[in-house]
Amino acid sequence: MTESRDGSLPEKLQRLVETIDVANVLTEPLTRSLSKLLEISAAELDSDEASVLVRDGDEGDLRFLVAIGEVAEQLLNIRVPAGKGIAGFVMSSGQPMVVSDVGEESSFYSEVDKTTGYSTQMILATPLSHGGEVIGVLEYINRRGDPPYEAFTPAEMDRAALFAEAIASLVNAYESAKLFRDMGEKMLTGSSAGDLSDVREWLRGIRDSQEHRAMMELALMVREIASRGEAEQNICKQLMESVLSYSDAKSETGYLSL
Amino acid sequence: METIPGIETEMPDRRETYLHLENDWRSATGKGVRVAIVDSGIEADHPMLQGKVAELVEARADTNKRIVFDKTGAGDSAGHGTACAGIIARIAPDARLHSIKVLGAAGLGDGQAFMAGLEYAIKHRFQVINLSLGTTKPQFFSPLHDLLDRAYQAGCVVVAAANNLPYPSFPSVFSSSLISVVKNAETDPFRFSFNFGDVIELTAPGVNVRTTWLNSGHRTLTGNSFACPHIVGVIALLLEKHPDMTPFQVKSALYAIARENTETLNKRPAS
Repeated sequence: MTESRDGSLPEKLQRLVETIDVANVLTEPLTRSLSKLLEISAAELDSDEASVLVRDGDEGDLRFLVAIGEVAEQLLNIRVPAGKGIAGFVMSSGQPMVVSDVGEESSFYSEVDKTTGYSTQMILATPLSHGGEVIGVLEYINRRGDPPYEAFTPAEMDRAALFAEAIASLVNAYESAKLFRDMGEKMLTGSSAGDLSDVREWLRGIRDSQEHRAMMELALMVREIASRGEAEQNICKQLMESVLSYSDAKSETGYLSL
Repeated sequence: METIPGIETEMPDRRETYLHLENDWRSATGKGVRVAIVDSGIEADHPMLQGKVAELVEARADTNKRIVFDKTGAGDSAGHGTACAGIIARIAPDARLHSIKVLGAAGLGDGQAFMAGLEYAIKHRFQVINLSLGTTKPQFFSPLHDLLDRAYQAGCVVVAAANNLPYPSFPSVFSSSLISVVKNAETDPFRFSFNFGDVIELTAPGVNVRTTWLNSGHRTLTGNSFACPHIVGVIALLLEKHPDMTPFQVKSALYAIARENTETLNKRPAS
């Protein structure tokens, strides 16, 4: 393990390329998990509209990674310029906040509403933080039912912050998996090594991250088993399904402990 | 000891006063007190803020990637700084507000600009500094700690908003050299209280606060970052009446007022 960590960049890239197919398989379930967790957390806050925004490029702009609710599809095409709106502020300040009367005057959100046809009345926004970095923003919009809505409470802000912790881990895993995919595309289109600075940055990060190493070791193990034949694949699949159903059953009463 | 250019480590020459805290500060207006707001900027021509904003500067990276501050007419990019300014102006209407815009400019590292803004405020010896923001990046722990110690020595009272998140945010967790604030549901700005023994010492109104916003508007906001300017406003009142107060004395005065508030609160009949 030590040797592989100390290897040259081309060697590391070669090994990473071998796992690209695994990374592609990882991305989709992560997006689904994010949506599911958003739905659960939104229901907890008596809201139907929620979204996760993440950094888009180096200038601090934001894009919607996942959204649920009436205008979810439209939101996915909208970019939030750096520092703009509540989400932009929360991203750059790290401070959660609630705005109880967004729709009164012209604002960034009225511009978004014009595009989507939605009416934003109030927002709860909290930062998504991972490893000391704010990597995105979690937003809940409006309550269920018709306005006027009861304002989000401080207790709900605390609950949203707890959901944000779990969502941030998923977002981080998603971004890592996406990096594999992007890297694969670059390799296939013949980009030069000089264009891979983000990959090198990520490699530096992964070297320090126990969580990522554990996840990738697991992914590589599954890939290795899958390559050995149909019997091994079936056994692996059955085992994993058993663990998942046992974990699901346990999660009714508490977390799986080892 | 390493020094920051422009920031003197010696205490300013002050007349030592025995602090008799009368209630006269309650009728003060913050006249003559210079307050810095390190945030997203201020909409200075907002009807509620006209004539109250003395200066607006904005962070920019120069060709050597150092952060410098220029006078700006850029206003407020997010609304948050204007919201904080409105709260301070409501409590201390004659305080001179100075906007140090560190958020919203593209291409600046968030923590880096925030540090530079705080350093600017200390260099210019603002009496009170409103920091309704923070960073969770561990690399800023040590330099921020150093900077805040220097603020304390320079006689600048720094007030920071805690973040109520399940991880520490700097500088609000530094309890020695600044005042940290968390929100409560009170509505009277003078009825702040304290958390005895907690890292975050003061609680102030921060739930459904109606205050100024972009485009000459108003918003109803909840968050610790709106509790922070309440305490800043109160400090401006205290400093008008007692301009020689040190940060230590300001903290002591806030503690005395908060304790009195808590005792009064405990005497209220149960509803």
